[in-house]
Amino acid sequence: MTERRTLDSALAHANLSSTSASSGVDYRPVAVMPDVRVVKIGGQSVLDRGRAALFPILDEVIEARKLGIQVVLLTGGGTRARHIYTIASELGMPTGVVATLGKYIPMQNARMVQMLLAKHGGLFILPDDFEKLPLYLQLGCIPVMSGMPPFGYWEKREGGSRIPPHRTDAGVFLSCEFLGARRAIYIKDEDGLYTNDPKKDKTATHIPRISAKELIERNLNDVVVERMVVEYLPRARWCKELQIVNGLKPGQVLAALKGEDVGSIISA
Amino acid sequence: MTKLVGGDGRTHIESRLMRESLQDRAVLRDTENERDLRFFPDVTLVSIGGQSIFDRGGAAILPLVEEIAQVKAKGHKIVIGVGGGTRVRHTMAIAMDFGLPTGGIAQLVGAMEELNAILLNALLAPYGSMPMQRDHFWDLPLYFHAGITPIAISVPPFHFWEPPPADGGAVPMHGSDFGLFQLAEVLGFKQAIYVKDEDGLYDKDPKKHADAKLIEKTTLADLLANMPAENILDEELYRTWADAKNLKRVQIVNGLKRGQLLRALDGEDVGTVITNEAVKRD
Repeated sequence: MTERRTLDSALAHANLSSTSASSGVDYRPVAVMPDVRVVKIGGQSVLDRGRAALFPILDEVIEARKLGIQVVLLTGGGTRARHIYTIASELGMPTGVVATLGKYIPMQNARMVQMLLAKHGGLFILPDDFEKLPLYLQLGCIPVMSGMPPFGYWEKREGGSRIPPHRTDAGVFLSCEFLGARRAIYIKDEDGLYTNDPKKDKTATHIPRISAKELIERNLNDVVVERMVVEYLPRARWCKELQIVNGLKPGQVLAALKGEDVGSIISA
Repeated sequence: MTKLVGGDGRTHIESRLMRESLQDRAVLRDTENERDLRFFPDVTLVSIGGQSIFDRGGAAILPLVEEIAQVKAKGHKIVIGVGGGTRVRHTMAIAMDFGLPTGGIAQLVGAMEELNAILLNALLAPYGSMPMQRDHFWDLPLYFHAGITPIAISVPPFHFWEPPPADGGAVPMHGSDFGLFQLAEVLGFKQAIYVKDEDGLYDKDPKKHADAKLIEKTTLADLLANMPAENILDEELYRTWADAKNLKRVQIVNGLKRGQLLRALDGEDVGTVITNEAVKRD
């Protein structure tokens, strides 16, 4: 039998299946676009509130853009996503199908935000358009995209649930990590992280800063960002902080875009 | 009639997950049950190795193509996927030397698998084969009805969004073994068969150790408890399988030995058979 014809490379004979795959390669990572602010606009928390919540936030994004801050907006899903997840779960759809269905609503939301921002340079982009970001941002545009990662049918089931574990919070974190930005910003309708859901538990107290490790150890029944993101944070190379700000309070979004420590910060 | 619910500044559509935090553990548990729907329970996923088969050239590929023709003639419904082999490794080695992020590496590697898919399509064309677009799964009944074997894209579409690797390295966790496994799992296939250049899974790499022992039959639970350090399949496949609900059987066969793939499709326990006893389906 003929032999395998192998190209010589540092990984030619490495066992990629083993966890030590990359050992022996001198890996010095390069940040792709470290100055970009990757910002999520929450679905249920902001967009489902309509004009009253969204317009003041967009005004602050436009102001930041005028200050030369490069912003990429990613949108969440919200109540329509919950509605389709409910029905799909009842039908016993596998997680990969639920994740595929989950792509459509954040996409609608991104299109809506783009229409509102069009006169200020709002641009609807798709997951594969990262390669065009340098142009868009140099032109002063505000790219808007769905926060849902493109995993779709390939989204794995997580033990104990058929809801896709990677949703729009994960998409924001993973975008930030790819672009090499230090901090992912999440605009929600709460001041940040609490000891429990403040909408349901009035005794819940605000946590201004916490490490991912501490947060995991606290084992809270509910957290303000997707658990996958908190799990990934300690092993991220670039995105070392998640900042959660209250978009309903004037000035918070602009402060966050300027790099100020408002809201809650979860660090690696 | 669908009810819209307001009162807290947001407008909700009435549903069980309305107003809920999807991070809440109790809410998440509520969506769970033991079974997932199965869409194509009579279809087998056949994955053909990149390094193990394609990198060996015609001597390995051509006889396998003839065997696939026999498989088709016997009426087995299969979806084929291919690995990328040594060019994937070369891509990764260069990209890592450049310091490209994991998501960037993940975006690049799929192109190398695609080259093997084009070759296989060209060779199988006389027997009836077609590339399947990324997730055009609902076309599958049409493919089978027409006697066309679909060749699927094997690398999953994680691309720029590939999560940070668990080992702290830069190599993407989600390669073609995982991608094809997940395709078979989400569509509720009968089984997945991986065609490699060894008789199956060994307790250590048989290419390096003369005393390596073939594992003919094992369960996923046993394998996870006692994972061989050098594995013929990506580890992410096993991790994913542990939480899966559909696939019960993964088989690894030797594509250099004539007839192994056909026998596996006929239901014989050739090569290595791994079963997931936790899967509850009938």
